[in-house]
Amino acid sequence: MLRIEELNASYNNILALKGISIKVPKGEIFSIIGANGAGKSTLLKSISGLIETKMGRIFFKNQDIINLPANRIVGLGISQVPEGRQLFVRLSVKDNIHLGAFLYHKRRYRKDINEKIQGVYRMFPILEKRSEQIAGTLSGGEQQMLAIARALMGRPELLLLDEPSMGLAPLIVKDIFGVIKELNETGTTILLVEQNAKAALKIANHACVLETGEIVLEGLAKELSDNPRVKEAYLGG
Amino acid sequence: MEKITFATQLLQYFITGLTIGSIYAMVALGFIIIYNVTEIINFAQGEFVVLGGLVMVVFTVSAGLPLVIAFPATVVLVMLVGILLHRLAIRPIRKPSVLTLIIATIAASILMKGTAMVIWGKDPFDLQAFSGRDPISFLGAIIQPQYLWVIGFLILITISLSIFFNRTIIGKAMRACADNPDAASLVGINTTNMILLSFALSAAIGAIAGIIVTPIALMEYDRGVSLAIKGFGAAILGGLGSFPGAILGGLIMGTIESFGAGLISSAYKDAFALIVLLAVLFFKPSGLLGSAEISKMKRF
Repeated sequence: MLRIEELNASYNNILALKGISIKVPKGEIFSIIGANGAGKSTLLKSISGLIETKMGRIFFKNQDIINLPANRIVGLGISQVPEGRQLFVRLSVKDNIHLGAFLYHKRRYRKDINEKIQGVYRMFPILEKRSEQIAGTLSGGEQQMLAIARALMGRPELLLLDEPSMGLAPLIVKDIFGVIKELNETGTTILLVEQNAKAALKIANHACVLETGEIVLEGLAKELSDNPRVKEAYLGG
Repeated sequence: MEKITFATQLLQYFITGLTIGSIYAMVALGFIIIYNVTEIINFAQGEFVVLGGLVMVVFTVSAGLPLVIAFPATVVLVMLVGILLHRLAIRPIRKPSVLTLIIATIAASILMKGTAMVIWGKDPFDLQAFSGRDPISFLGAIIQPQYLWVIGFLILITISLSIFFNRTIIGKAMRACADNPDAASLVGINTTNMILLSFALSAAIGAIAGIIVTPIALMEYDRGVSLAIKGFGAAILGGLGSFPGAILGGLIMGTIESFGAGLISSAYKDAFALIVLLAVLFFKPSGLLGSAEISKMKRF
């Protein structure tokens, strides 16, 4: 589904990714783990188009998307849940969700949009209760749910999740990972970036380890979690 | 008798102030629409007003078009100028900082003023009032019918903008760009187009202001600067970024100017607006309706 070849990308004039090549098969959960500053977010932003200073090839469904701007890439079926949620904090929960389907408003799929909204409300009932509230006033967990809901409104085939557990209480992290698993079971391919390596490896099929902009390990998530090096560096021994 | 006359006089100042304040409010709205999406203060905003008045003169006086055709034609033409301003002065700048973009709008405003002088000369132009010049008497004060048009248009613009930004997906997308441009492009919003739209919208409001104020106050090529300063003052007074603030700020600015000119001296008419602007910046930089929290995050 997604194939990255020899990707170099810079962020703030620093070369943050060096020769990254990965393949994300359709229907899988693929996790990228690594320390702070290893380049995980830069990788996701390069795929979604937020980072434009990059070289290499990024194939999505056999189309090279490396030169496309972010607002075109989402139309192809890649949605990103960005690090730190990045909600429209001054707009209402409802407006955030509506804007997630921005491309479909233009294409006049009003009825589909309403069905889709009902769908995300079923997944996150709390958002329906808070629909008139300003997004910036939600709790951290609710904001993360809203960020996921907004991304889902774009009907992604590939969902990019950047640190969905960041700053959340363990119980809520469990909920969020449950939702990710559920989304995957209904057919969405997922590329997950996480510092919480244990949780990320547990739900993934394949995974890779990113260190200072390079992939140092790659393989089945199970194998990686048994790897002594991963155990020591990321799983707390 | 003396006392009643004074009261009537105050009422007269108030009505005149509201009218001129409506124009300032429209200029302030123009500033805010662009500011909210881009953080740019577009100093060519006053030129849109001037162009609105002068182009309308060409269409009605020179070309003899009826009002109902000339009005929208003028608005569309000035909108095109707004789009050109974005295309030629704003977008070509590589790696722009907000400050360079603001300076670009100052340059554009000087250029537009110069061009207007070449085309229209230095003389002020008059336009026919929309529904005649027979004054209406109201509690002893004199109201020009055109005053009502001005206030009416401010109400119309306010309602339209509020529907546009709160009810339509494009309006919400513009607010989303202002709120978080990266997230906006992640949901598929073309942020460049939204910026373009904000320039077109501001130009349209400026043009309307120019068209309706010309029958009251005439229009000449170099009025843009003073209109821009007063509109900017109104926007700051209301809290830069707030729509209700811009309208309130404009009305207050116009009323202060009118009372100041009437009761103190009309020679200092333009000074009052600047005094208000300075006072706000000294004592409450976040403005009347702006939140201090947000103003801390502002770069300008």
